Amino acid sequence: MTVVDTTTNTDLAGERHVRVLVDRCAGCQECVIRCPSGALSMEPVTWTALANDDACVGCRQCERTCPFSAIEVHGPLAVSARFDPANYQPVELRGNIAETRRGYDTWEEAIAEANRCLTCPDPTCVRGCPAHNDIPQFVAAVRDRDLERAHAILSRTTVMPDICSRVCNQAAQCEGACTWSLAGGEPVAIGRLERFIADHAPVPSPTIATSRDDALSVAIIGSGPAGIGAAWDLIEAGASVTVFEKDATPGGLPIWGMPDFTLPDDVATRPWRQLLDAGVELHCDTPIAPASIDQLLDEHDAVIVAAGASVPIRLPVPGAELDGVVDATYFLKGAKSALSVGGDPGAFRRELGVREERGRRVLVLGAGNTAMDVARMARRLGLEATCVDWLDERFALARPDELAEARHEGVDVRFSRTLTMLLGYEGRVGRALLAHTFQRDAKKSPVVLEREPDQLDVDLVVMAMGYRIDNELSESVGALPIRKRATGMAHGAWTASGILKNAASAYNHFSPVGSLALDREVGLWAATMPQRERVWVAGDALTGPASVVEAMAQGRRAARALLDAHPTRPGHSKDPLARTSARVLVCYASEGGTTKRVAEEMVDQLNLQGARAQARPISEVGVRELADCDALMVGTWVEGLVVAKVRPARAMREWLAGLPNLGGRRVGIFCTYKVNPRGALAEMSAVLTAKGAQVVASDAFGARDAHDSIHPTKPEALANRMADRVVRHRSSLSPR
Amino acid sequence: MADRVETKVSSGCGVRAGERHLVDPIGVAIHIRRPQDPAAIGRFDTTDLPRGLDVARHPLVARILHDRRLQFMLILPNQIIFWLVIGIGLLGTAIPGLNFATAITWYLWFCLVFVMMVVVGRAWCAMCPFGGFGEWVQRHTFWKRTTSNIGLGLKMPEKVAQYGFLLSVGAFLLLTWIEEFFNIAGPGNPASTSLMVLGIVASALLFFLVFERRTFCRYVCPLSALIGTVGTMGSVAGFRTRDRDVCLSCATKDCMRGDKDGYGCPWYTWPGSSDSNSACGLCTECYKACPSDNIGLFLQKPLTSVVAPTRRRADVAWSIALLFGLVVYQQLNALTPFGNLDTWLNNHTIFPHYPDPIAYIGIIFAVALVMAGVARGFQAAFARKGYTPVSIGRTFVDRTSAFRTYFLPLMYGIIPVVGADYFARQLPKFFQHVPRVPVSIGHLFGVGTTGSSLYKASLISSNAGIVAVQVGVIAAGTLAAMWTSWRIAGRDIAPAGGNKRVVQLSVTTFALVLGVAVAVLYVLMNAAD
Repeated sequence: MTVVDTTTNTDLAGERHVRVLVDRCAGCQECVIRCPSGALSMEPVTWTALANDDACVGCRQCERTCPFSAIEVHGPLAVSARFDPANYQPVELRGNIAETRRGYDTWEEAIAEANRCLTCPDPTCVRGCPAHNDIPQFVAAVRDRDLERAHAILSRTTVMPDICSRVCNQAAQCEGACTWSLAGGEPVAIGRLERFIADHAPVPSPTIATSRDDALSVAIIGSGPAGIGAAWDLIEAGASVTVFEKDATPGGLPIWGMPDFTLPDDVATRPWRQLLDAGVELHCDTPIAPASIDQLLDEHDAVIVAAGASVPIRLPVPGAELDGVVDATYFLKGAKSALSVGGDPGAFRRELGVREERGRRVLVLGAGNTAMDVARMARRLGLEATCVDWLDERFALARPDELAEARHEGVDVRFSRTLTMLLGYEGRVGRALLAHTFQRDAKKSPVVLEREPDQLDVDLVVMAMGYRIDNELSESVGALPIRKRATGMAHGAWTASGILKNAASAYNHFSPVGSLALDREVGLWAATMPQRERVWVAGDALTGPASVVEAMAQGRRAARALLDAHPTRPGHSKDPLARTSARVLVCYASEGGTTKRVAEEMVDQLNLQGARAQARPISEVGVRELADCDALMVGTWVEGLVVAKVRPARAMREWLAGLPNLGGRRVGIFCTYKVNPRGALAEMSAVLTAKGAQVVASDAFGARDAHDSIHPTKPEALANRMADRVVRHRSSLSPR
Repeated sequence: MADRVETKVSSGCGVRAGERHLVDPIGVAIHIRRPQDPAAIGRFDTTDLPRGLDVARHPLVARILHDRRLQFMLILPNQIIFWLVIGIGLLGTAIPGLNFATAITWYLWFCLVFVMMVVVGRAWCAMCPFGGFGEWVQRHTFWKRTTSNIGLGLKMPEKVAQYGFLLSVGAFLLLTWIEEFFNIAGPGNPASTSLMVLGIVASALLFFLVFERRTFCRYVCPLSALIGTVGTMGSVAGFRTRDRDVCLSCATKDCMRGDKDGYGCPWYTWPGSSDSNSACGLCTECYKACPSDNIGLFLQKPLTSVVAPTRRRADVAWSIALLFGLVVYQQLNALTPFGNLDTWLNNHTIFPHYPDPIAYIGIIFAVALVMAGVARGFQAAFARKGYTPVSIGRTFVDRTSAFRTYFLPLMYGIIPVVGADYFARQLPKFFQHVPRVPVSIGHLFGVGTTGSSLYKASLISSNAGIVAVQVGVIAAGTLAAMWTSWRIAGRDIAPAGGNKRVVQLSVTTFALVLGVAVAVLYVLMNAAD
């Protein structure tokens, strides 16, 4: 795919034409409803799409969304060139921590860029954004010079536009999913426009609901982006929030891990200044061992684990135990305080053991964003830096612009190399052996080649290959991190939007933005499900190392799911608004309609008992529906050879196997059968228990229960038992 | 912006107690345009069917249609039979009447396909072993929903696809010529039948591996144009939307794109806009995929899909003209004057034997051009002075002109005559020889011989009897064509000018004349025998 020429010349519209393949066009209007420029309509007689070439801007959204590929657009894109202000390039690097990337300085620049946005009716950028910011609307607000409205739109989905606009990898997110980018052109500079809003008008503080002393009390472990997102939404909803942070300052990785030249300190600390003003209770220097979550649960209604993933990964090579081998966390924290006002770079260099008489070369293992930060910090400390990564440069993990900046600042970045051995002298690292590697494609691991390894004299080695989550957390909360990988078919709305049909372009070469976005969706929705009863997990602690924006968005999702679930610690519900009626979701797999009838009967009975129940076929029950209920009823028909091999229906078994962790949800199960249900209920019960559910009631409905239909008293009895365990259990806790 | 559907957006940015907190922000950001409502212009008024004709309302039918194995179960028996045909044709006896391959293919199958075509529509396509085999390979499964395909998945190039059914007509003309040249359907040497079937299977497989979905069936299959035109007489309307508003507001169009329950329509048909059964392969995929259970399997009165559609397609009209040419050619070639012409041509063009391609192509195109000429005549006689139709499409299929205003409806009107003519052509083999089918089956087990009484038996033995049936079929087809022509002329042709009744009468007379002509040809053929 070549980059299509972009042009401002509207006279070229004549060269652009839309061709509707009328034999294949079925008149579904998928293109008509999504065309940003209104160039498509319907021909009334043939009922096929009709294109107005003069109105077409060439964005090819129709091509991407047509289910039958019955429309083609030819010719250039009608969009002006994108404006990116040049980076600030310090003449003297040493000690200089001024921000290098620049935003728009004037309204003219911002509006010119905002005018490039097509305000797509079905915006793919919104799906590409991990937080799902309403990008077309905030860009429109910039166009209208209304920053207040822009902030209002942004604050629906993000609490840190100033931070995200600086640290997000937009090329793999919103900008990679911009319709211009998908069409092979230059995307709208969404990140810079977001930054313009945040830089030119203060990010609004949390608007606090009238605080009630009977509100939810929530403990949050960790004060990083996920904790900030969760605390923000909880405090806005009137909950009382207590945050425990193991470090001395709140803010997590953006505070200690991101250098000032990327994220200035006063920007990084802004959320916590506002949260503390809003009344969030913060305990710094208070590490909470995952094993002691139970204690927190006694004192709070719910716990959100947002502890991040901060255990550095170390490369087990010979020589890794030598002096002068440190990890990125240590290096970044030290370097940041050494370079900030009042810091002493010389003292930090001495602490690291770097001696002036040697080469003063730092070997950074890895070439991801952390490694770039380490190397660029090293340059600012007056050191030489070499990054090595065993990946091929085509599949590099760092942002392309970050990589370019690092190289510009004199960092020696070597791809297709891997460290095989560190040699030392008198216990101090002195030389590294770097083997050559070869990687065929992004999905395959590189192989080490037999060639003579490079030798490099080094004075310090920083391991910056990334982080992982604490094993203890996984043991005490559940199977963490979850696998953030979308499986099966994408939801039809995603396919229909056209984001999955992205061509590689200059802006998203090797990142298929659509599938990256779908994978992120898995993390977002997983955050809505409690991993244990009253325990939600968000951010890197949930998914393993990811991005700031994802952690923030997951934190907000978890908080919102928590607010809807409104859990209460035993004996402490004083909230008059707390629901006394549980939300019960009756999920059924029905073939002939009997199970469906029982399910509907169950809904009626549960509603009579004071629950808020609804029935849905399992095909319509996904994570978002599960997140939205307090208890489940699961019903199925049974299949098998009369009495042998009787099992729950295959569809039900597959659905059960695909369930996320149910986090202690109370579950009732039932099945309908002709001759004998055998072990069907036991099998379902075992699977559900393994998924973290509490099976509290079960029953089977057989042919003998029926004259014409299921005997009405049996569902009633099961519903009663279920209601006893869920509905009345809850309401008995809340004094009337 | 006025034409966009405004989604309700909560104005506040904060979260308020008592509201639902967890919302998916993507939905808030979507402001798709309002789809145009075809009801406002009455686009589907003539083709929409009453709810009562939806057989999928019955729970049992619904359950069967939802079962992914249904298609496989329909294809499997035919698959077995046609692989037997290939094997037995090559290895079995060389006596055509006694070989299972030739007996079942030419005495029974071809006739049955026509019956299914006229009664149902694309029933054969639902059980076709050729497309079925290609599809199994393409989807690498017998019935499951897989998400990856084997093959290149290309789209039919627009240069070809814009001519719709005409490529299929070309394939049919070519195949028929080959069949006449090698005397395959006579039936002749059973091995020829095997090789022909094998050739079809191989080319179908090739197309399924190169192109996506059922590109082969839609554009290339030799029978597709015939079934797509003559099949419109059928009484099954195919899968259609139950409530068009639901389809218009559907955000996913799973019936076209496919979802976990079903593939996207392999035939490039959308139940929400389908106005004829011409391109519905009855494969049930859309029915399975629809998340709103908004698709039904509709029945219709015979001939509905001939008369009702308001979109008249040029490829369909030319297909009818050419297919009519072919069947007339097949009638003429039994007559002595044609034999003389063919011999003369072969002698002068150094061509080995019947059928001479010049006569073959010449007669077919001559008939098609006569059809066009008649339309031109009607245009000259009736069109208002300076009549030019509203200009719509710019492609072959949809372009409009004064000539097309007459030609297209005229050809749609004679579909029943063409269908009856094809059907009548198959009858002699069926009536005279279909008892040989059980004999050929017995022969495989060593019991059937050419000497058996069943081998020599016929359903109708006398030529006169068969001709009487043929003429009866033609008469029925002609009556049907007169009815469709009358209706179509009144709605589609009369508005272009002339007295409505006179136009209707003339067009109907044309259908009658064609019917009489082919009936006379059958009588003459009989005399020639």
